[in-house]
Amino acid sequence: MSTQDTHESVSAEVAARVERRWATIAVIIIVMMALLAAFAGIHRATMPQPRVEITDPSRLHLSGEFVESNLGSVLEANGNVTVRAIGQQYSFTPACIVVPADTPITLRATSADVVHGILIQGTNVNTMLVPGYISEQLMRFTKTGDYLMPCQEFCSFGHEGMWGKVKVIDKTEFANRAKGGGRLSCVGQ
Amino acid sequence: MLVNRKLILAHFWLAFAVFGIALTLGAWQMFIRSPIGTWLSNPELYYRSLTAHGTVMGYVFPTLVAMGFGYAISESALQQRLVGVRWAWTGFWLIVAGSVMAVIPIALGRASVLYTFYPPLIGNVFYYLGVVLVVVGSWIWVALMSINLRVWRKANPGAPVPLAMFANVAGSYLWAWTAVGAALELLLQIIPVAAGLKNTIDAGLARIFFSWTLHAIVYFWLMPTYIAYYTIVPRAIGGRVYSDSMARISFILFLVVAMPIGMHHTFADPQVGAGFKFIHSAFTALVALPTLLTVFTICASVEIAARLRGGRGLFGWIKALPWDNPMMLALAFSFVMLGFGGAGGLINMSYQLDASIHNTQWITGHFHLIFGGAIVIMYFAIAYDLWPHLTGRELIDVRLMRTQLWLWFIGMIVTTFPWHWVGILGMPRRMAYFDFGDPAIAPQALSVTFSAIGGFILLASGIMFIVILARGMRAPQVDAGPYRFALAVHEPRTVPVALNTHALWVALMIALTLTNYGYPILNLALSSGTSVPAVYVGAQ
Amino acid sequence: MSARDLFTFSNPHFTRGVGITAAILVVTAIAGFIVLPFAQPWVQFANVWDAICSAAGVPQRAASVTAPDQTKRLSEVVLTSNTLSRPSQEAIGRGATLAQRCAICHGPTGISRADSPNLAGQYAAVIYKELHDFRSGARSNAVMSPFAVNLSDQEIADLSNYYAYLPRLPAYHPTPQLPKPNIVIYGAPMRGIAPCGSCHGSLDNKTGSPWLEGQSEAYMKAQLQAFASGERRNDISQQMRNIARAMTPQEIEQAAAYYASQPPDVVKAVD
Repeated sequence: MSTQDTHESVSAEVAARVERRWATIAVIIIVMMALLAAFAGIHRATMPQPRVEITDPSRLHLSGEFVESNLGSVLEANGNVTVRAIGQQYSFTPACIVVPADTPITLRATSADVVHGILIQGTNVNTMLVPGYISEQLMRFTKTGDYLMPCQEFCSFGHEGMWGKVKVIDKTEFANRAKGGGRLSCVGQ
Repeated sequence: MLVNRKLILAHFWLAFAVFGIALTLGAWQMFIRSPIGTWLSNPELYYRSLTAHGTVMGYVFPTLVAMGFGYAISESALQQRLVGVRWAWTGFWLIVAGSVMAVIPIALGRASVLYTFYPPLIGNVFYYLGVVLVVVGSWIWVALMSINLRVWRKANPGAPVPLAMFANVAGSYLWAWTAVGAALELLLQIIPVAAGLKNTIDAGLARIFFSWTLHAIVYFWLMPTYIAYYTIVPRAIGGRVYSDSMARISFILFLVVAMPIGMHHTFADPQVGAGFKFIHSAFTALVALPTLLTVFTICASVEIAARLRGGRGLFGWIKALPWDNPMMLALAFSFVMLGFGGAGGLINMSYQLDASIHNTQWITGHFHLIFGGAIVIMYFAIAYDLWPHLTGRELIDVRLMRTQLWLWFIGMIVTTFPWHWVGILGMPRRMAYFDFGDPAIAPQALSVTFSAIGGFILLASGIMFIVILARGMRAPQVDAGPYRFALAVHEPRTVPVALNTHALWVALMIALTLTNYGYPILNLALSSGTSVPAVYVGAQ
Repeated sequence: MSARDLFTFSNPHFTRGVGITAAILVVTAIAGFIVLPFAQPWVQFANVWDAICSAAGVPQRAASVTAPDQTKRLSEVVLTSNTLSRPSQEAIGRGATLAQRCAICHGPTGISRADSPNLAGQYAAVIYKELHDFRSGARSNAVMSPFAVNLSDQEIADLSNYYAYLPRLPAYHPTPQLPKPNIVIYGAPMRGIAPCGSCHGSLDNKTGSPWLEGQSEAYMKAQLQAFASGERRNDISQQMRNIARAMTPQEIEQAAAYYASQPPDVVKAVD
């Protein structure tokens, strides 16, 4: 009996040790991944938006940041660009967003009615538009080009028609267009 | 000894019947929005189908499987006749009533809001009430699992709770608590608006409530699968569970950490603070641990079976496994899909990687691979394993079972791998049709076509599955003997109280919910000025 | 095996379980609420408390922004699903009386024989909005603006409720006699055009989007062209200008012709 018990307890110890070793490895893998994520986030400036900001979706057009004349791209004094957009059933305004390459850009957007999403295909610019809240995402395009910008969340029966566009143009060309002040877009181009 | 076989069979049959209907809808959906289908002139039909598919596959089908399996475990593992059978039937009929109540408005096109029902889109009130009834029916099951365990403990003071029942009850507690999020969203926010008592709703708060449920519900779905990994497959292939205590720890980790991590579903949302997104991200990383532990323990358990059959070598023992046994096939397929699906999950949980694929078809591919693939293939295995014990008749056609499982595996790979790919290309979710003629998205056409073909393979497999079970109701009678679970290599004589009870872990789960969800919820619930007008869907 | 054996620090599982959980929580909270906010040089916080509150998600109202002046008047109407949703019989009655002066152009039954739009059965929110916009100047028309300027808020509401109460023209598109243009049925997704019916009622009604069935073809074509050129701009946040701009002239004609279809037994105003 004693050899059976000893044998059992020895092998039980072996099993326990092996499991513990694996558990340690598993924990190390996980911690490394978490640290990598934090590092990548800081190094590449892909962090969640820093604040929760609220607004009234049914009154966006009356006053505040998202009135019609303020939608579009504006060149700030420090050379950065701010883009303001609205998602609504079933289009984005501006329907074509124009931005310069090689520039830090802040996208600020919200929904006028239901939950929408903004996704710039081929990039990691991807955020939800929740009515009542303002979404903010930083972006930077290294080269010029055209991108599709679909809505990526079900917003009722016209959702499949909700596709916007993004045009990334040369930095100097953008600066020229921005000379006249106002808000830029590539609508109708 | 399975006494209440009719009860268990009722749950399984209803589960697989609605599964078959939802699977058919799913195959149609894949087809109609792919290049081989023509654009719907009424896109609402697509969203209607999507609502039905998601509601059944998410709320009805896996709940019924978990409940039926849970009753079977309770009677077999505890060797105790089920206490509260009348309540169990009440729960079942509540689910039937709720499902019917929900499906009618869906079918009439009055509730095409999708199973995630993101307000301020609002559908018919009876859809939501139906979902609530289904949840209430399942909570009766939770209570019965707890009660049955308590009765057994009184009769067996200090004895180790059989692993299958320990995990089963853990899963039931996890479900009960995780359902609270969606229940609060429905009862406090959506139903009053759908009933016309209010006409504004905080869309952000609703998404937070839903995220409470949305992640941990997949662990609820996963529990029967993991229980089968640990307690059914080793027995079925002639092996033993490598470590009983590690198994318990895995289930305990799920119970604690599956729940308070839901805000990784709101990484891209503007109504959640970045600090909480980080905390949830960190705890989500933790929930990878029990799966990593499980993969190790199950591989070790399977190796035991192989070596007992004469397998040799570092990897050569794999050949010695009983590959003609459907349970072995199911496990292998499940693990392969779990590997890929799990890797995808690790990407989703990292905020930076998630940013590229959030709400693209990658996400849909991911959860079909992990849920429809890794998890549901084990539901098939559970049904195959239990069927002779429930029906008193044997399942004869083992070859057909193997074919069915192969088809499901192949179908799932063919469906979901291209799906992941188009997600990386940026294809958005939940659209009724796409203009594949446009050169910008034409590169996605071939992949989407493959996925649609995969959908039909899955449909064939699903039909096969139901045929096998139906045939099993009429096969020659056989006495399958008592239903038994796998033994551990070292069967525990005593188990530490923390690994034999749930109270500590439930307390931690609730405490973590308070720390991780308390402030975000209260913050918005008490803020004025965050409610927005409701948008009623389908108003004509 | 009682709760006392479980919930005590002499139970290693309790100590380790609670301890590890609490430790992870504290570390991640410090990281998420203090370290990470300040590790982002592109975000400015006033102080530590501001960083913590922002990371916690305390709702803030965005700082006020000076927007460029709107050069032309835009719609100031606020529409929700609740707008005019519960009309009373008195309101409808008052509206009927007021509508007598609209009948010259819009027909005694709300169905016009000329190119002025049919109003019968139009969504109340639509008439409400257009009258308000005519009154404020967000939309202008030589005939309508003078009428609207003299209407009070109550009168606008009553008129809207009255016309909504009338039966509307049904969709009448018998195939194959009359074709169904792709632009109407499917929209044009890549140009950002959803099917017309997803807002205009045959699939779903977005509040403020008019019912189009049986509407005057010339009127609809003129409105689409006006949206496309930007001359008409009372669509809140450009939602119709986005659509019309992306349509081709042929598509505008097709859409107008499609919707203008009326069943043969429609009763119009007598000459």
